[in-house]
Amino acid sequence: MISGRGRGKIRAPRRGVLGAHGDGDEFGAMWEILRSALREIHEKNASKLSFEQLYRASYKIVLKKQGDRLYEHVKEFEEQWFASQVMPVIRKLITNNLINITQGGIASATANERRLTGEEFLKGLKLSWQDHVTVMNMTTDVLMYMDRIYCHDNRKASIFTTTMGLFRDHILRAPLAATSENMITADILNSVVLDQIGMERDGDVINKYHIRSCMSMLERLYETDEEAENDKLYLTMFEPEFLANSRTFYKKECSALLRDSDASTWLRQTKKRLAEEAARCQTTISPLTAPKIAKVVEEEMISAHLSEFLQMEGSGIKAMINNDRFEDLEALYQQISRVDPAKVPLKKALQSQVVSLGMEINKSITETDFTTVQAAPENGETVEAVEGGASKPKPPSKKSTINAQTLAAIKWVEEVLKLKDKFDVMWENCFKQDLLLQTALTKSFADFINMFDRSSEYVSLFIDENLKRGIKGKTEAEIDIVLDKAVILIRYLQDKDMFERYYKKHLARRLLMSKSESADVEKAMITRMKMEIGNAFTQKLEGMFKDMQMSGELTTQYREHIRNLGDMDRKNIDLGVQILTTNHWPVEAVGGSRVEAGREKCTWPSEIVTLQESFKAFYLKERNGRALTWLGYLGNADVKVVFPKVSGKEVGPLSKVRRHELNCSTYAMLVLLQFNDLQDGGSLSFEEIQEATNMPTQELSRQLYTLSVVPKAKVLSKTPDDRTHPKAGDRFSFNTSFSSKAIKIKQPVISGLANKAESEEERRETEEKNDLYRGLIIDSVIVRIMKARKELAHSLLIMEVITQLSSRFKPDVAMMKKQIESLIDKEYLMRVEEADQPTYRYLA
Amino acid sequence: MVFRKDELEIQLKDEHKMIQDGKIRDDSPLDVSDEFGALCRACRVGDLKGCQEAIAAGVNINARDSFDYTPLILASLCGHYQVVQLLLEAGALCERDTFQGERCLYNALNDRIRNLLLQYDYSKSTDPLQPFASHISSLLTRPVPKTSDIALNTATSSWNLHKFILSARSPYFQKKLAAAPETAMWKLATIPNEAYQVAIQYLYLGAVPTDLGIISESSANLDQVLTGIDKVSKQLGIESLWESILSGNDRRLARQRHQDEVTAGRDQIERWYRSNVLKYKVEIDTSKAQDVKWTRDNGIFADVLLRADEESEEQTKSEEDTSKTRNTSGLLNGIPIGPAMSSRSPSTSRKPKKSVLFPVHRAMLIRSEYFQTMFSSEFMEAQATEYLQIILVDCSPEVLEIILNYVYTEKAENIPIDLAIDVLFAADMLFIEKLKTKAAIVISTIGNGPTSLVDRTHTENGEQEVEQINVYDVIRAGWLLKIQRLEEFSARYLAYRLEEYIDEEEFEELIKESAGRIEKRQETDTIELLDDIRYYLSERFRLRFEDSGLEDIMDEDGEINAEAVQAISDSAANDEAIDVEMPKLSKALGDLNVDNEQNPSQKDPASDPPMLPAGVRTLDGEIAGDEFAADAINYQVLLGKIDTLLERLKLDA
Repeated sequence: MISGRGRGKIRAPRRGVLGAHGDGDEFGAMWEILRSALREIHEKNASKLSFEQLYRASYKIVLKKQGDRLYEHVKEFEEQWFASQVMPVIRKLITNNLINITQGGIASATANERRLTGEEFLKGLKLSWQDHVTVMNMTTDVLMYMDRIYCHDNRKASIFTTTMGLFRDHILRAPLAATSENMITADILNSVVLDQIGMERDGDVINKYHIRSCMSMLERLYETDEEAENDKLYLTMFEPEFLANSRTFYKKECSALLRDSDASTWLRQTKKRLAEEAARCQTTISPLTAPKIAKVVEEEMISAHLSEFLQMEGSGIKAMINNDRFEDLEALYQQISRVDPAKVPLKKALQSQVVSLGMEINKSITETDFTTVQAAPENGETVEAVEGGASKPKPPSKKSTINAQTLAAIKWVEEVLKLKDKFDVMWENCFKQDLLLQTALTKSFADFINMFDRSSEYVSLFIDENLKRGIKGKTEAEIDIVLDKAVILIRYLQDKDMFERYYKKHLARRLLMSKSESADVEKAMITRMKMEIGNAFTQKLEGMFKDMQMSGELTTQYREHIRNLGDMDRKNIDLGVQILTTNHWPVEAVGGSRVEAGREKCTWPSEIVTLQESFKAFYLKERNGRALTWLGYLGNADVKVVFPKVSGKEVGPLSKVRRHELNCSTYAMLVLLQFNDLQDGGSLSFEEIQEATNMPTQELSRQLYTLSVVPKAKVLSKTPDDRTHPKAGDRFSFNTSFSSKAIKIKQPVISGLANKAESEEERRETEEKNDLYRGLIIDSVIVRIMKARKELAHSLLIMEVITQLSSRFKPDVAMMKKQIESLIDKEYLMRVEEADQPTYRYLA
Repeated sequence: MVFRKDELEIQLKDEHKMIQDGKIRDDSPLDVSDEFGALCRACRVGDLKGCQEAIAAGVNINARDSFDYTPLILASLCGHYQVVQLLLEAGALCERDTFQGERCLYNALNDRIRNLLLQYDYSKSTDPLQPFASHISSLLTRPVPKTSDIALNTATSSWNLHKFILSARSPYFQKKLAAAPETAMWKLATIPNEAYQVAIQYLYLGAVPTDLGIISESSANLDQVLTGIDKVSKQLGIESLWESILSGNDRRLARQRHQDEVTAGRDQIERWYRSNVLKYKVEIDTSKAQDVKWTRDNGIFADVLLRADEESEEQTKSEEDTSKTRNTSGLLNGIPIGPAMSSRSPSTSRKPKKSVLFPVHRAMLIRSEYFQTMFSSEFMEAQATEYLQIILVDCSPEVLEIILNYVYTEKAENIPIDLAIDVLFAADMLFIEKLKTKAAIVISTIGNGPTSLVDRTHTENGEQEVEQINVYDVIRAGWLLKIQRLEEFSARYLAYRLEEYIDEEEFEELIKESAGRIEKRQETDTIELLDDIRYYLSERFRLRFEDSGLEDIMDEDGEINAEAVQAISDSAANDEAIDVEMPKLSKALGDLNVDNEQNPSQKDPASDPPMLPAGVRTLDGEIAGDEFAADAINYQVLLGKIDTLLERLKLDA
C-alpha cells in the first residue's frame, strides 16, 4: 500500500517557516531592520517606515522561536536609548538648587526661582515620558505578534509593560551623576512637586498641569511588571512622601492656630484646607489620594487638638452654645463627623453643657424657692398661702392663690422647656438632625431633670396649673403645644411612678373641686400619656374620670328616686354624691391621711345621718355588698345663714336682716350646725365643738380658722379675737354683725385642698409611701420573673428587674436586695448553695 | 426551564400553523435533494470529509429529511462526536425547548455528545453571520482608523460613510457613484434625520430600532419619520427596509427578517466584491509591482492595494493557469493600470516573478487586527498618499484571495486542502481567528480521508489511499500555532495509520521534537504525542473489543492481554461460529503482511524488532486464530514498536 501514498500533496509551507531553527544570520538581518526602525521611531520619523515590513520581520523571528532574543534585544535597545538620549536631557534640568531642596537644605534661591526651575524640570520629565509612551505604543504595534504569541506563551510581561518598567528603572531610578549620594530622579521629582504644592498652600499660583502630567505618569508605572493595582509608583513612591509632608505642614498650622486664633477661625481654616486638598487631588495630583489626604488633614487639624479648641474660653463650644453661634456649631458638627462618626467629643460637650445649664436652672429655682419661704412667716405653709392672699389689699389676681412653690414649679418647667427649645433649634439647624446627638441630648436632659428631686412633682404641677387656668382662652393648636411640651417632660422623667402619684393627687383635686377647665383637654392629656407611657399608667386616671361620670348619673337618679318617693317631709337637703372607687383615688393625697384616725368617728348630725341612710339604701339596692364610707373632708355644703338685724344699727347693711348662702366644706357645715341650736349670744368652746363633731383637732382648728378669723367669711367670732389659729380653750360665738355685699359667700379655700408644692415633710412622706409601693412592685416583678425562670443568677435577676421596670422607675439596687431578702424570708425564693455565683431558686 | 413533552408538542403545532400561514420561516425545511441525502448519509456513517464537503457546497445543514431527521440528530444518534462538533461549529441549531433540539439531546448516543450539544445551546449558538454584520455596523461609529470616503450631509447632521457599501447595498447609489466615483460629499434632501439614521443603519446591516431612534427633543414626530423612511427607501431602492420596520414588534419574526436581511446584504456585498475587487485585480511582474499607481478616486472606491507575490518555485504552472483566466483587467471605469503589464524586464532570463495586486477597502481589512493596528498607527501604511499604498501580504495570491473572500463575504468553506496550511499560517499572521479555525477544520476533516472509522487493518479491497496531507507538516503547524485540534487530529491520524509511519525516520524526528517541547524534561515526563497516539491506538482497537462485549480482556492499563484473547478466540474457533469469515480474514491479513514485510525492508531493516517471533501472519506475519486475536496481536505489535523506538531514542516515557 505504501506505493499508493501520495503524501506531500499539501505544499510545504514556504520560505522555510517550518524549518527547525533559522540560522543566526537571518535573525541578525531581521533584527537589523527592526533596530534601525526603532531608532527612526524614537526620532519620530515613523511615517517613512513600513509597518508591513517591520511586522513581518518580528513575525518571522517569533515564528522561528527566536522570540526571547528579540525581546531581550528590544529591551537592550531601549536601555541604551535611555542612557544615551533621555537621561542627559533630564540631568541637565536638575540644577543644584533642586538638589539642595531635595537634600532638605535651605534653598538659596527665592521662591519664584525655585518655582521656575521646578517647572522646567517637571516639563522636561513630562515630555520624555510622553515621548516614551508614544514610541512604545508604536513599538508595541510592530511587535504585536511577539506580544500575543511569545509573551503570552512564556508568561512574560508584554513589551509595553517591560519598557515601562525600564523607564522606571532607567529614568526615575537612575542615579544622578552630579552627586555621589544615592539620589535618584524620583527623589528630585518628589521634592519638586512637594515644594510646589507647599508654595500653593502658601498662596502662590503654580502650574498644576505639569504636576498632574507627572503624577499620571507615576500612576501608570508600577513597582513590578505584574502591574498590581497597589503597586503603582504613585502609591508607593510619591503618595507616602506627600502625606508625610502634608502631615508636618498641618501639624504646624494647627499648633499655630491653637496659639494665635480662636475656635471659630480654626473651624473656618480647617474647612478651607479640606476643600483645598480635595480640589488639589482632582486637579494637581491624583483622585486616589483624596480620602487619604483628607484623613491626614482630619487627624492633624481636627482630631489632634479637638478638645483644646472645644475648651477655648470665649470661642469654644460653651460660647458657641451660649451665644447661639449656629454657623460655628454647624462647621464643628461637620468636622467632627468627619473624624468620629460617633461624634463623641461633641456629644460630651453638648451633654455637659445641657446638664450644666439644667443644673443652673435647678439651682436658681431652689434659691428662689428659698427666698419666698424666707419672706413668709414660719407658721407653716398652709397659713402662708392664705395669708399671702389675704394680706394683699386686692386679691383678685389668680396668681395670688398659687403659692410661691407652685410658681417656682411653673418657672422651672418653663425654663427647662426654653432650654429644650434652644437645643432643638440647634439640633435641627446645625446638627443635621443627627440621631446620635438627639439621643445624647435626650439623655442629658433626662439626667439633669432627674437630678432635680422635685421634678416629678413640678411637672405634674405644671400640667395642673395649665389645666386649671393656663388653657383658658387658648386655641386648640396652642393647647396642643402645651400638652406636647408636658409630654416631652414626662418622657424625661425617670420615676414615672412618682409622677403618677402626684398626677393622681392633682387630678383628684381638680375633679373633686371642679377646678378643671376642660374635660376634653384632660382626656387629651391622658390619651397622650397613655401613648407615651402605657396603658397601665393611665388606667387609674381613667377610672377617676369614670367615677366622676358615674357619680353625676347616680346623683340624678337619686334625686329622681326621692322625688318619686314623694316623701318630702324631711328637711329639704339636696344631696349630691361622688362615689370614689377606693383603688383609683389617692385617698391620702387628698388630705385624708392626717385625719385617717378620726375618719370613722366623725359624728354626723341627725339630719345628715338620715340623708346618708336614705342614699345608702338607694345605692345598695342595686349594688350589693359594697361599703360606703363618707368622706366629710372632701365634700362641701351650701348653708343658708340668717343674720338678724343688729340692734343699734339703723343704717348700713347691719340694719337689716341679712340672708347669705355660705358655701363651705362639709366639716364647716358640721361646725356651723352646732350653732343652730344655740341661743343668741351663746358661745361654744373649742372642746365642746370637738366633742359634738368628733373632728380631729387639727381639722377643726382649720375649719374654725376660716370661719372665725378670715374676714371674708367671718360668721363666727372667736375669743380671744386674734389672728392666731383656734386652739383648745378658745370660745366661739355666732357673729351676728357679719356683713357682706355678696349673697353667696364662699368659704376661703383651705390649703391642703389647693394643689401646690409639698413641703419638705410632705415630700418625705410621699417618698416613703412611694418606696413602700415600689417595694411591692419590685416584689411582684421578682416573683413573676422567678416563676418563669425557676432559677436565676443574682446579677441576671437584677438586670431583668431593671429592664422590666424601666418604663416606670429606676429601681434602687439596695432596695432590690432588700426585697429579695424579704422574699427569701417569706420563702418565695431560696439561695442555690452549690452555684458558683449567687443564684436563687423559685419555691412554688 | 424544561418543557414537558406535551407542551413541546403544542408548541410544535403552533409553529406549524405559523409556518403554514407564512408568518415565520421554518428553521428546518424539508429537503429531499440528493446533496442533502448525501450529507445525511455522511452523518450516519461519520464521514467527516463528506460532511465538510457538503457544508462547503452550501447544503442547508438545518434542513430535515423525509423522516424529520436533521443532520445533527443523525450524527448525535449515531455517536459521531467529531461530526456533531463540525455541524455545530458550522451553525447547526440545537435549541433547548424546541422539538428538534430536544430530539437531538435525547437521541444523543453518549454523554460526551450530549454535553457537547448542551454547550452549544441557544445562548451560545450564534448566527454565523453575526460577526460580519456587526463589523459592518460598527463602521458607522468606529473613530480610528478613518475609513470613510463619503460624507452624507443634511442641514443638521452628517454621516461619514463608505462608498463601496452604499454602492453594494443600494441600486440608487450604485448608479450615482458609478457616474461620479470621486464624490466626497453628498447633499441629502430635507427629511427628518431619524429617517436617514434608520436607513443608514439598515444599509449597514444594523437592526432596525423598535422606536425608530426618535428622541424626545427631536422636532420630528413619528409620522414625519415614517414618511421620510418611506421616501428614502424608495429613493435608495431598498424597499425591504419598510417590511423590516413593519415586523418590528414580533421578536422572532424580526430576528428572522434581520437574519434574512444580513444574508441578503452579505450576498450583495459578495456580488459587488466579485464584480469589482476580484475583477480589477492586477497581475504584474514582481519587479514592477511597487510602481503601480492607482488614484484615490478610482471606480471601485478602493483605498489600498494588497500585493501578494507568486512563489518562484512553482511559478510556471500556476501562473499559466491564472494568467489565462484572470488577465482581464481593462481600462474600464477609469481604473488605472500600472505601467508594467507589457514591459518585461530583460534582465531575467526566465519568466519574471509575478505579483497580484488586489484593490481593496480598509474598512473591510480592519476586520483583521493586523490591519486594524497598521491603519491606526503612524507608520507609512497609514499615511494618506496621492496614489494608493501598496501593501505586501506575505502569502501567495491564491491564499490572499481566500483571505479576502473571508473578509468580504464571511465565506471560508471552500478552502482547498492543498492551500489549507498556507491559509492557516496567513490567518495566524493577520490575527483572523475564525479563518484560522476554518482552515484547521478543513485540514482535520478533508485531510482525514474518506474512511475514518473503518480500521485499516481490515480493509479488504486493497484500495490505494491517496493521502491528501503531509501529517508531519500538520502536526508541526499545530504545535507552532498552538492549535489543539490539529495536534489531536494528527495523533489520531498517525494512530490509525501507525503501521505505515512507525518505521519512518521522519517519525522518529517527530517524536524527538515532541519530547523536546517540554522544557527541562524529566525522566518521568511523558511524550505528549506518544501519549496521544497510544490513546487513539487503544481507541482504534478497543472499539472492536467493546463491541463484542469483551472488555474483561483488557487489564487496568487498557492494554490487552494477548494470551487471554488467544484463549477466547480459540474457544470461539472451536465453536466454528465464525468459520465462514476465515477466508476473508486471511485475505485481509495477507494484505497487511505485504505491507508489513515491505516496510522494514525498505526503510530500516535493522530496526526490525527482535523480540517478536517471526513467521506469524499478523502485522508481524503470524496467523491469528480469528479477527479479535489478530487485533490484539496487532495492538501489541504496535505498542512494542513504540517501545523499541523509545529505547533507541534513549527516551523514557
